[in-house]
Amino acid sequence: MAFQMTRRSFLQASASAALTTALSGWLSSGAQAQSGFVKKPFTAPGSFGDTTTVSGGVCEMCFWRCQLVGKLRDGKLVKLEGNPKSVDNGASICARGNAGVKLLYDPDRLKFPLKNVGKRGAPVWKRISWDEALDECASRLQGVIKKNGPQGIAIFPHGASATYPMHFFEHVVGTPNNSEASFFQCRGPRDMAYIHTFGVEASESVDMPNAKAILLVGTHIGENIHVSHVKQYLKGLENGAKLVVVDPRFSSSAAKADIWVQIKPGTDTAFLLAIMNYLVKKGGYDKAYVKENGEGFDQFVKAIAHAELDWAAKICDVPAAQIKEVADLLAKNAPHVSIHPGRHVTWYGTDFQRERALACLTGLLGTIGAKGGFVKAKGPKLGKVAWPHVGTEHAEEFALHKMAEKHIFSPPGTPTQMLRDAAISGKPYPIKACITWGQNPIQTIPGQQETIKMLQQMDFVMVVDVMPTDITMYADILLPELSYLERYDIVKTGVQWNFNDKHQQYIAPRMPLVSAVSADHQRKDSVWITNELAKRLGHAKEIQVPTAEAMVEKILAGANLSLAQIRKEDGIHLQPGSDPYGAVYPVKFFNEDLAEAGYSGAPNYTPVPDPPKGFARLVYGRVPVHTFNRTMNNAWLNAEIPENPIWLNQDTAQKLGLKNGDRISLVNQDGVVSANAGILKVTQGIRKDTIFTAHGYGTKNPAMTNAVNKGFDEQSLITNAAVDPETGAHGMRTSFVRIMKGGKVLNIPA
Amino acid sequence: MNNSKPKTPAAFYTFLAQSFRYPERTWLIGPYFDLLENISQNLDLNKDALGLRQSYCASEEGLEELQIEYTRMFINAIPAVVAPPYSSIYLDKEGNLYGRSAVWAKQFYQLHGFDLAGEEDLPDHLVLELDFLGLLLEEGQEDAAEQFLSEHFRRWFPSFKERVLNGSTNKFYSTLLTLVDFFTREEP
Repeated sequence: MAFQMTRRSFLQASASAALTTALSGWLSSGAQAQSGFVKKPFTAPGSFGDTTTVSGGVCEMCFWRCQLVGKLRDGKLVKLEGNPKSVDNGASICARGNAGVKLLYDPDRLKFPLKNVGKRGAPVWKRISWDEALDECASRLQGVIKKNGPQGIAIFPHGASATYPMHFFEHVVGTPNNSEASFFQCRGPRDMAYIHTFGVEASESVDMPNAKAILLVGTHIGENIHVSHVKQYLKGLENGAKLVVVDPRFSSSAAKADIWVQIKPGTDTAFLLAIMNYLVKKGGYDKAYVKENGEGFDQFVKAIAHAELDWAAKICDVPAAQIKEVADLLAKNAPHVSIHPGRHVTWYGTDFQRERALACLTGLLGTIGAKGGFVKAKGPKLGKVAWPHVGTEHAEEFALHKMAEKHIFSPPGTPTQMLRDAAISGKPYPIKACITWGQNPIQTIPGQQETIKMLQQMDFVMVVDVMPTDITMYADILLPELSYLERYDIVKTGVQWNFNDKHQQYIAPRMPLVSAVSADHQRKDSVWITNELAKRLGHAKEIQVPTAEAMVEKILAGANLSLAQIRKEDGIHLQPGSDPYGAVYPVKFFNEDLAEAGYSGAPNYTPVPDPPKGFARLVYGRVPVHTFNRTMNNAWLNAEIPENPIWLNQDTAQKLGLKNGDRISLVNQDGVVSANAGILKVTQGIRKDTIFTAHGYGTKNPAMTNAVNKGFDEQSLITNAAVDPETGAHGMRTSFVRIMKGGKVLNIPA
Repeated sequence: MNNSKPKTPAAFYTFLAQSFRYPERTWLIGPYFDLLENISQNLDLNKDALGLRQSYCASEEGLEELQIEYTRMFINAIPAVVAPPYSSIYLDKEGNLYGRSAVWAKQFYQLHGFDLAGEEDLPDHLVLELDFLGLLLEEGQEDAAEQFLSEHFRRWFPSFKERVLNGSTNKFYSTLLTLVDFFTREEP
């Protein structure tokens, strides 16, 4: 059928009265179906065209605290990025930082207060109201306080949000039994060793961007990612710094090293002593600095005089010539040498002494305050929020290590091993309530069976967390906390990442990027939870701030700032900084206090047990996309590295008939078998006496639906942890393992 | 989207879209046939259109006949549906549903500020495509409407129309296909 008429002429003609009437008649008849379309502005896939940018985020996918902005669409966070205003991480964040989006919207997250109506370890949860939860927590804590005193409460905190409740229980309630994983299973020996050598904390205060040589002992930057730290390290290498890496394993850092010292595990202190002894004898150290700022240098020289190159070479299983080469390289580039203090240093229970050796080497080379050396940034000053110390005296009186006169150089809190032993034995006093806040002691503390025993003997266990980690299975009351993207908490400060750039200080409070309120959950922040507990425990008058937001305001007020001002400044306040170079610290080469307390006044080497025949030493580290067990359930990160790799020497693998990619289990010296398998990585890049894996896998909580039954929990294999005598921190590279495949145990050939 | 009243000429496309929905008494009523007849008169199609009201508006049997025919042609039939009203069937090699041309249509909708109301809707149903043309014209996006017709609709509609006309003698649908053709064909 062909029309003479065109559409155009028809449409013109359609103005005719009859058609107009018919059209409006039809339109008003209401006989049209609903349109199959909705109006929706176009957004190109992957674009952020219709998002709004919210600043003020501070990351907590690890604890480096990079500054963030969030891209939101209709109130939903769709992407995280580095805050372009940041002089620290800048616009960069790591894989974990990016994956914060998936933590925020993880369907496995804790949502409501829960009461365990089943058993500890095999919970049956019942949702309860906040009032009921808080009333029960308070009355049961009060019960323990009445019966056992405040010291009957133990707290296991971790992370910025746990500081406020931790100080409440320490300083107001008055318990000394606070075990921070960040000290006793991580940095404690380093922090205390440097304080007792230089009088200041080590942090990671080495000026790597401007160094001519960098020494990493066991530190594997690149597998362990802290954005500005990685930037510093890479800038140093880019600027031509020589890199020395001491590691039994060909780590990502070893791969960039000028000298890779493939040391026998547990012997690092011998290596360091030999270097120092060699430099002293040769006169290859900073005599002026040592003369002016050294203390007990002669005693130190005498104490390490035995540490000849050959002596160390034999112990460390590396050529004497290589030790000499390292010593010469460091001396040649001094004082522009970064002797890295490390971060996770709880290895063998002899770690305080190794850290002392690192600090002494730092002093010996005169690197303190020098370009490329040990340089502490001069950060901004802030206000403070502190609980009144009404219970501190009581706490000190009942501090276990002080009562036993042990671990005199313990970091703040109570050494975990002592705390757990006391809880299990009831001596010297009972510990009957346990609070964990952001820490997962099942996977952070060696000796899981003892930890579980400790938990089972408690009258009350309260857990506050974001995710259903292993420890949550042991809670009587489980409280859901807001994530770092939904709450106010710390104020991050620092300076520009490279001291060579314009000196700037920054102040960046953690502010919520998304709403803390939503119909599908009732999560709360730690300030609110603690205050509600404080009110119920009769400590309302000690409360210093009503909300987390008010706490941050008060801290900022100390710098003449406010949240409103920070918001105006896109989440980060910048102010002029000052030159950090030229600082002078005394160096206690020989520490009288240590000697008086019965420890070695000069750094000393204590041998650690060798693997029994048929076993290799189990060492662990990190993979760059995970932060311990905290990120294991994250959908994106889990997809990247879902199971832990197990590094095994190539010759060993060949002898045992194992190949790359095999799924193997490990069995330790006490017959403990890893619950799941790991993926074998066959490599020349590891010693035959050493097996390496990544920490944090193998959650046993089925509520972690992405992570459960993937990989194995290497902490379950650490059943013979050592304890550092000076600090009381754990040593956790003490386990020896054999391989299990297809139900058969395979001995590791020598 | 609510049933906001479309403007002329957008309303003609909405009308055509409505005409290819499943025949029901809710919409096959007097005002519908008033408009159908008026358009037909203007296009000199009187002889075909005039009987339609008689057949399908007045009697319930007529409606049922239309429903059966619609089902046979467009939904399910033994041995085969006469003419599935989806572009993918005619444009894509495999001749399956939700082929590349359907994806193209969906992207075109999104690019021009519209999304399907139901996430699982097949994007390339005749009703949706006509409905979409109405929405574009409603917004004055005439160039986009012409692009949609030339790059997509005109490439499949003639084959579809041919299959309907070969497979059915139904006057209602042949009339409406003629109208769709008039409102969508290329003009100098």
